[in-house]
Amino acid sequence: MNRHTKEIIIKYVFFTFSLVSIVVLGLIVFSLFREGLPIFGKVSVKDFLLGMEWYPTYDPPSFGIFPLIIGSLIVTIMATSIAVPLGVMAAIYISEIAPQGIKEILKSVIELLAGLPSVVLGFFGMVVVAPWLQDTFDLPTGLNIINASMILAIMAIPTISSISEDALYAVPREFKEASYALGATKFETITRVIIPSALSGISTAVMLGMARAIGETMVVLMVAGGAAAIPEGLFDSVRPMPASIAAEMGEAPFRSAHYQALFAIGIVLFFLTLAFNLIADYVSHKFRQIGSGTL
Amino acid sequence: MDSDIIIKLNKVNFYYGQSRALTDITMNFRKNKVSALIGPSGCGKSTLLRLLNRMNDLIDGTRVEGEILFEEKNIYAQNVDPVEIRRKIGMVFQKPNPFPKTIYNNISYGPKLTGIGVEDMDTLVEQSLKRAVLWDEVKDILNKSAMNLSGGQQQRLCIARALAMKPDILLMDEPTSALDPISTAKIEELIEELKKNYTIIIVTHNMQQAARISDETAFFYLGNLVEYNKTEKIFTNPDVKHTEDYITGRFG
Repeated sequence: MNRHTKEIIIKYVFFTFSLVSIVVLGLIVFSLFREGLPIFGKVSVKDFLLGMEWYPTYDPPSFGIFPLIIGSLIVTIMATSIAVPLGVMAAIYISEIAPQGIKEILKSVIELLAGLPSVVLGFFGMVVVAPWLQDTFDLPTGLNIINASMILAIMAIPTISSISEDALYAVPREFKEASYALGATKFETITRVIIPSALSGISTAVMLGMARAIGETMVVLMVAGGAAAIPEGLFDSVRPMPASIAAEMGEAPFRSAHYQALFAIGIVLFFLTLAFNLIADYVSHKFRQIGSGTL
Repeated sequence: MDSDIIIKLNKVNFYYGQSRALTDITMNFRKNKVSALIGPSGCGKSTLLRLLNRMNDLIDGTRVEGEILFEEKNIYAQNVDPVEIRRKIGMVFQKPNPFPKTIYNNISYGPKLTGIGVEDMDTLVEQSLKRAVLWDEVKDILNKSAMNLSGGQQQRLCIARALAMKPDILLMDEPTSALDPISTAKIEELIEELKKNYTIIIVTHNMQQAARISDETAFFYLGNLVEYNKTEKIFTNPDVKHTEDYITGRFG
């Protein structure tokens, strides 16, 4: 076998492997749509998305997922608003300020946090955070938006922090030197040069952190409380979309309307995370600043 | 002490961790002159330049011995704020490094840190760009990104940015090594012009450049100052054999 044939064979072997992941993803999406779309023969898209009542097992059932969408959005937004400042500041501290020793420790601790199984975090939310919230604020239940948002934030921090950190490291050294040489302090250099230059990467980090939070299932299943109603306050329980799917799929008869409705929720989630990823991609291109002194 | 001496180094030793990069450097830089630092790679000339505005502070594990007097004050004394030093001693780097901001904001970056008003800012920007002979080329695109400029223009922008701080001294670390010959010529003309108002200390790899633009030249080898004299003298009749060997290209 000559060298040329070998090259061709190697090329196709790699092509096949990369094709496998695309095909598998395609098949998953296909089955998601095949199982979910028939529900729209029974309920209109508008009633499904904007309907206020989710009673899939009643007779007649109602399949309005608006409270579930609201539940997902509210915990995601709350979690993001907690996780973004913490994650970004941690990244800035690690990449720009911390001395070598502390930097190594912090990095590995945050990586460890990323590796925690979500069920462990959910369990922590259930047995530690929930009773504490219940006692402190005198609530009927500690399984609510605040609890879920805090736990989700803890899950999103490693994503946000490590991607922001990469973006901060990618800021050319020349920019920092130029800033220091003009008599800027470290703080001025960070806020006026480093963060603006890393903004596209940081925005990507935020979007991916949100995507992580909105798709997370175990935590919201365990600590969000599971009430399929529009919440009136931050101490109310909600039932985010992934929690509904996970909780109900087991008892929904195969290919029943309920089963199809749960798949349709999956489609909605799929589009939401797709949107987050597309926005992240767009943002990272849109705000990309041209590198240093290109000649 | 001569009144025209602006920087005085007294037995300066510099260490990166354990290794010594500069040994017992004693030399004076004179006001409104162009002083060139030459020598082969790794001889410590850039390190010396970066010592003068305390840029080496930014590198972990470095240590300075001896004293560097700027206007008769030791810039490495305990109570000296490096930020103050860097405002008075500007720096231009090897690779043009404008910020990814507009041309205007590149110039106003430094002065804004010191809290100068906006009305004065327009004048200052214009003045700085004119000094760097860039004004005519960029006056209509002040709000465009500096990244759109050519390499030579970017480097003059960096000079203008340093001038906007109204420094006493301008340190230049091989400012033309990344530029084409035409841009290099422009920068050299500019240096000629600037020395009327500023003291310029320039590191260069290019011996012809040192000969063309500098008044005084220092030759470094392996962290030692071998010879420091009038440029003319160094290039025509150096005292030390080693210098002659380097200049005539016998090693380097």
